[in-house]
Formats: sequence, structure tokens, C-alpha cells
Amino acid sequence: MTDFKTLQLLDRFRLLFVKTGIDYDMMRKILHIKLTMDERKVPTIFNQNKKKEDQKYGYIKSLWIYVLFGLVLIPLMGFGQNFLFQMSIAYAMIIFLIMTSLISDFSSVLLDVRDKSILSTKPISARTINAAKFMHIFIYLTYLTMALTAIPLVVSLFTQGIVFFILTGLEILLINLLIVAFTAILYIAILRFFDGEKLKDMINYVQIALSLMLMIGYQVLIRSFEFVNLDMVVSFHWWSLFLIPMWFAAPYELVLHGDTSLLTVIYSILALIMPIISIWVYIKLIPTFERNLQKLLSTSKSKKEKNNRLKTFLLTLVCRTHEERAFYRFATLMMKQEREFKLKVYPSLGFSFIIPFIFMFTFSRSEEIDYASSFGYLHIYFSMMIIPSAVLLLGHSAKYKAAWIYKTLPIKDYTHLQKGSLKAFLIKLYSPLFLVLSIVFNYIYGIRIIPDLLVVLVTSWLFTVICFVTMSNKIPFTKPYDEVGDAQGWKVFLLFIPLGMLAELHYLIASQVTFGSTVYLMMLFFINIVVWKVAFRSSK
Amino acid sequence: MEEILTITNLTKSYGNKEILKGIDLHASRGEIIGYIGPNGAGKSTTVKLILGLEGDYGGEIKLFGESIGQDQIDYKRRIGYVPEIADVYDNLTGYEYLTFIGQLYGLELEEAADKSKSLMELFGVGEAYHSRISSYSKGMRQKLLIIASLLHNPDLLFLDEPINGLDANSVMIFKEILTQLAAQGKTIFYSSHIMDVVEKISSRIILLYDGKIAADGTFAELQADNTEGTLERIFNQLTGFHEHQEIGKKFVSIVRGVES
Repeated sequence: MTDFKTLQLLDRFRLLFVKTGIDYDMMRKILHIKLTMDERKVPTIFNQNKKKEDQKYGYIKSLWIYVLFGLVLIPLMGFGQNFLFQMSIAYAMIIFLIMTSLISDFSSVLLDVRDKSILSTKPISARTINAAKFMHIFIYLTYLTMALTAIPLVVSLFTQGIVFFILTGLEILLINLLIVAFTAILYIAILRFFDGEKLKDMINYVQIALSLMLMIGYQVLIRSFEFVNLDMVVSFHWWSLFLIPMWFAAPYELVLHGDTSLLTVIYSILALIMPIISIWVYIKLIPTFERNLQKLLSTSKSKKEKNNRLKTFLLTLVCRTHEERAFYRFATLMMKQEREFKLKVYPSLGFSFIIPFIFMFTFSRSEEIDYASSFGYLHIYFSMMIIPSAVLLLGHSAKYKAAWIYKTLPIKDYTHLQKGSLKAFLIKLYSPLFLVLSIVFNYIYGIRIIPDLLVVLVTSWLFTVICFVTMSNKIPFTKPYDEVGDAQGWKVFLLFIPLGMLAELHYLIASQVTFGSTVYLMMLFFINIVVWKVAFRSSK
Repeated sequence: MEEILTITNLTKSYGNKEILKGIDLHASRGEIIGYIGPNGAGKSTTVKLILGLEGDYGGEIKLFGESIGQDQIDYKRRIGYVPEIADVYDNLTGYEYLTFIGQLYGLELEEAADKSKSLMELFGVGEAYHSRISSYSKGMRQKLLIIASLLHNPDLLFLDEPINGLDANSVMIFKEILTQLAAQGKTIFYSSHIMDVVEKISSRIILLYDGKIAADGTFAELQADNTEGTLERIFNQLTGFHEHQEIGKKFVSIVRGVES
């Protein structure tokens, strides 16, 4: 365990901590241990790093991707004078990136219950423990923010001047405070009302919802600027008071352009006081938070399993053998209940729902569309972009060690397991998504597209097998998440190629051949049967 | 004898559920107290209250002659704790974890390192000292926890199922350690469900049942008060449990698939 540069830097502020009644040496020791541990786990967005050795500064090294993202900020921050407009986008991006990182990688820090039993039994004051927790997050957010904004900031120093530079630096600090406090307060609110497993589920859903919201919000934001491109004067509505990035963009107008209109002033005030208020509320709530955190450990009531005869019957049609059915049920439960799987897959599931529409509207804006004859519904193929990553993640689990049971079971071969889990994915996750999309598309394009939608559905089965074969997963739920490696990650992208080809083929057949879709549907159906048979030959 | 721990009329509720219904308890220097009771009787709640892991209780807890109140932390320096389900920062190595804990208790790094290294070696797990805890077996983890609780030479020890996962030889060593510690004047609270062990090592036994103390005395005294012979039988008797034969029979008949 070597010392950290960061901590040596922190040592200079020692007096500041001591003055506020914090045992600095103790806090430093805790931080040291926390940082050491963090070096050994790879955060979610960077889990491509497969090398287990040489993880010193692993986190910092992995920040290059944020440096890359930061380059996008250069035109926004470095050039132009339309501050309200440019800086809104810039801050939306910054908030998006920092918040997603905070949620996916540092929720565990905020919600760590180990701290309670390990640290609170030692002679350390609660204030010091909380300070350590806060500093822990703060250190990482500093790295992250620096990586993201350092280059654009330097550029802006030369192009926009010193005032802009200082103002931006200050605002970024405020934004970080706001994000941490906001996330923490959100968790506090959830902790207040739920407990036990239910609570963990709720937190999970909030994480999913936030990731999805940020994902979509970002898309919407980017696209909305295409609309207003010609008319860059942003019109104010009462609801634009809630557009947080705008708060932080307004001070530029105020300070650099001398714009003292009412809204600019209100925004600027909000930008300054909201972070301070939220941090103050957070500090006030910490004791409640700590108390309620215990709830994470409590057990909750069990629920009764319902048995549906029809479901059971349908299942026997889908899965022929007894073993396959067992694994179908098992995979269904894992997908429904394993939080990490949900956190990784559900946001993209929601995204897959949105993305066909995003593409549809992007391409359709330029020309008039005759919905009675258009092939625009083929955008539904975009929803299949979830399949490669979902199939990949099916091979992984947070509780991968529990896979020892497979070795002790008297199972002949694992094909039933694989088939069962893939079917569970298709039926429980993809089909509902597809069904809702189909209904909407039917509404837009008319029921004439039903044969084509069926083609898409059958194609999705075929595509799933293609993904499965490419991923070469042996047994579902047997690998840890941090082994979702580089090679596999690339495969996810490579698999978009056959997907595009399948969509293109469908387009050609449907547009060139009369009743082409119906014939193609039948062909696909048989191809499917053959492919599923071949792919899951018992390997004896 | 010097009184280390005094608990007077301790009560604790979670919502409407009353977990502790007025507990009075004394512990003196050098005692090994077998602290037993059925699941959910409130054993670990008592310990958590004493350690300050939970608050909002009624009654008084006095440690080393002083009442523990809010924001009191110094008394924790004299306590060692092995929890039953122990959270460990298991991506650290044994060395890193133990020195960290030692430092939290106020030891110098070198002192903590020397101590933990020797203790690990004595416990037969010296070769794992620099490996990640996540790679440890159950017994090794338990040994680590025991060492972590003793590094700072505490005067009062709370051990919850401490021999879980230890092999027979290590259990012998551990029992000897306890005896030696008690002889040095340390007070030990020993919680376990393995009655044979509790019966043998405890100088006094306290049985908690339904949030109240159902029995308190030496094993001999408990035997005198009850008709049954072993501590296990006394435990059954005091907690009013007699159906073990019947339940066992039923269990096996269901395993065999015979409807009873």
C-alpha cells in the first residue's frame, strides 16, 4: 500500500478539517483504505480493462474516455457568444456524464452498510466517518470533472478570457455539489419510506429511471437544438425554470453581456443558491440517513408464489423438456430480481423502446410521408439493438459463484440451460417491448404491416441465436460482471452488422416482391427451427 | 470484583415490536459469559446497543463505570467485537485490513503490522497474510476476524459464533486463548448456538428468551434449578421447546415422500 498523491494534496487542507472538528488522521486512514480498495475494482463504464495486474491508478487511466467526451465541449465553451444557448448544452452534457457516473459507480459508496459495522464499532466520531465518506466521493468527482473539463477550460481561457474561465470553474464546483446533494437526498427520501429488499428494489428502480431519463433527455436535448437552429433566441416559459443547465448558463449572460433581464437574474441566483441549499439540506439529513441505512439490512416479508395453469401450459409448448422449463423459470427470476442485471439491461430496454421513434422522426422531418405506403415501420429493427448486450449479460451475474450448483447437478448437457434462458429473455423482456412498439406502429402505419411485424419478431429469434453463438457463453449467470471484457464488448457492436443486413434484406423483399413478406416470414420460420436445432446440438 | 458492564432495565423497540423488554445484567472482570438464547431473542440487539451501533433505547448501559451516552466514542477503544455475519472489506489483503483496523483503534502502523503478522502465523494462516481476503476460506476469514477484534488488547470482548468454520485444532487453540484472556482479567461475552462449547467454557451463563433474561448463573446453578442435565436440554426446557422428535420424524417422512 503506497501513499496517494491525492491524499498528500489533501494534507495541505488539514487545518480546515481540524477546525470543523474532524479527526483528520483518522479520516485520512479511512480514505487511504477506500482508495486502495477502489483501485481493485473497475468501475462499470470502464470494465473493458481486462488486465488484472497493473491497476495502480486504474481509475485515473480509465478517465481518458472522459477526456474524449470533454473535447466535444470545446466548440461549446471555447467559441461563440451565445452563452445561454451554448452553455446550456455544455452543462447538460457535464451534468449527464457526472451524474451517470455517480449513480453507477458511487451509489455503493453512499449506501455502503459495511461501513456501519466495521467503522462505527471503532472509536471514531460519526462526523469523521461522514467526512471521509463525503471526501471519498469528492475526490473522484474532482478527477472526473478535471478530466472532462480541463481541456475545454484551457481553450476557453485563451478564447473567452479570464472572467469566463473563473466563472466556469466556480460553476462546475457548484454543479458537483448540487449533483452529490441531489442524489443523496433522493436516496434519503427512498430510505425514508421503504425497507429491506423492497428498498433495494426501489433504489434499483430509481437508478434505472435516472439512467434512462438521462439517456433520453440527452437525446431530446441534442435533437431539440436542430429544431431551434435557425432561431437561437431561447424563449422563456415558466417551466424552463426547471431546466437546470440553464441556471448555470445564465450567469454568463449576466456577467459577460451585462444582461440584467429578470429571468437571467433569477437563473443566476438559482445557480448560486440551489447547490448551497441542497448541500445544507443534505448535511441536516445525514443523521436520518445513517439511521435509515440500517433498513438495508432488515429482512422483508416474503410473498407467495402464484400458479397459473394457462401459463404452465403455454410454457410446456415453448420449452419441451422438464430441464429447459426449470431453467426458463430460473432465468426469468434472475432477470426480474437480480439488481445488477436490471441496472445494466433495463435502461437500455427503455432506450430500445425510444430509439425507433427517434430515428423515425429524425429521418421523416425533411419530407412528407405517406403512412399508408411508407416503410418507416422498419425502424422497429432498432429495438433489437438491446439483444446483443442482453445476451452477453445473460452469461454474467453478481452471484456468479453460486454457479457451483451446476457442477453438482446431474445434468447431461447445458443446452437446455442456454435455450431456457434465451427463451426467457425473448419472452419476458423483448416480447413486451416489441408488443407495445407494434401496437404503436400499427396505429401509425395501419394494420397492413402486421405480416412485416411478424417477420421482425421471427427475425429477433434468429438474431438472438446469432448473438448467442457469437458470444460463446458457456452457461448463463456464471461469470462476474467485471469480466464483460473488451473482446465481448466489440462483439456487441459487430453484431449490429448482421442486424443491419437482416433489416436491409427485409426491406428489399418487402419492397420488391409482391407478398414477399409473407413468403419471407415462412422461410424465416423454418430457418429459425433449423438454426435453433443446430446451435443447440447436444454436445456429448 | 470490578464491575465492567452494568445494564439496568434495558428496553428497545423497532416500531411496535418490542425486542428487549427490560434487561438487567452485570459482568465483572475475568468472567466468560455464555450469552445464549433462541434466534430473535435479542442477543445481537443488546450487543449492538452496547457498541453504539443502534440508539434510541430505554434504561441504562454502564461500561467501565461510566454511562454511555450520545457521541461517546472513547469507550469503544476498550472493546473487541466479532460479529456473527461479518462484513469485511474483502478486496483488501489480510495485512491491509488488519493494519487498518489496528490504526483505527489507535495503534501505530508498525505495531499493528507486527502484531497481526505474528498472530496470523500463530493461527496457522501466516501464508495468507498478503492475499486478498476474498480468497480466504470460511475458517481463515473467521481467524482474521478474531485477530482484528483483539489487536488493540481490549478489556471487553463480544464474540458472536466465533468458532464458526474453525477446524477442531483451531477451536482448541481458541478456547485456550479465551481462558488465558480471562485469566488476564478480560471480560468475554460469548454468544453461540453450540451448547456443548458454551457449557464448557463459560464461567457464567445468561439465557435470553423473548426479550427477557430467563436464566443467569453458573452451569452448576442452572443444573440445580432445572431437572434436565445438559445445557442443551436446559435450553429446551427454559424456552419451552419439546417437539423436536415429532418435527424430526415428520421432516424425514416428507423427505422420503411418505404422506403422514
